[in-house]
Amino acid sequence: MNVAESMEPSAVLGACESQIRLPYGLLGFEQILDFVLVANPGEEPFQWLQVKDDPNLAFLVLSPFTVMPDYRPDLPEGEIAFLKLKGPEDAVVFNIVTMTGMGQATLNLKGPIVVNRHTQVGRQVIPTNAAQYSVCHPLSTSVA
Amino acid sequence: MLILSRKLNESIVIDGRIIVKVVRVDGDTVKLGISAPTEVPIHRQEVYEEIQLNNKAALTKGPRIVPKLSAARPTEAPATPLPAGTPA
Repeated sequence: MNVAESMEPSAVLGACESQIRLPYGLLGFEQILDFVLVANPGEEPFQWLQVKDDPNLAFLVLSPFTVMPDYRPDLPEGEIAFLKLKGPEDAVVFNIVTMTGMGQATLNLKGPIVVNRHTQVGRQVIPTNAAQYSVCHPLSTSVA
Repeated sequence: MLILSRKLNESIVIDGRIIVKVVRVDGDTVKLGISAPTEVPIHRQEVYEEIQLNNKAALTKGPRIVPKLSAARPTEAPATPLPAGTPA
């Protein structure tokens, strides 16, 4: 299955804060399963994937389609079954942003987080076409 | 580390539910077929580690800074390199 543009985290998950469960955590953080997706006014299109039990910890995330409209991560069959996705429209996709200093940032296109919008359950997946995407895709930033 | 010898088309069973089969051997490349329940994550180690390192670098513990996206979409580097001898 090829997930595409219809899935905007903010548009789909709606509220300013949405609970998200990642039963396998994030790669390297397999013990952290429960998150809150926080959208702060003025920070659009970015959102924070905040650790539910420790709000000091968070990952900055972004809908990849805002910067790369033709991004098409292809999900392995097993992930589609695990996430119970019946079609691309069930999936919400966001990617982790890394601040690299001096206001610069990169986006991890190789390991998107895919969430089933109905169950709010997600997983950081490695798409079958991951080889064509960078783990640190530069974001075009401007100094305020 | 447990080390087992396997021939082409032979398998090993892990935990009664994961089967790893040698599908093809071609020089220094071994093609493996893996049957596992859908909930078992299987990754190439180098990709897994790359994402793991990136996640660790991305974890924000202190002040929350959001980058400013420039209005224009990110563009690729110029397709044509400057001709040799072009002053910098």
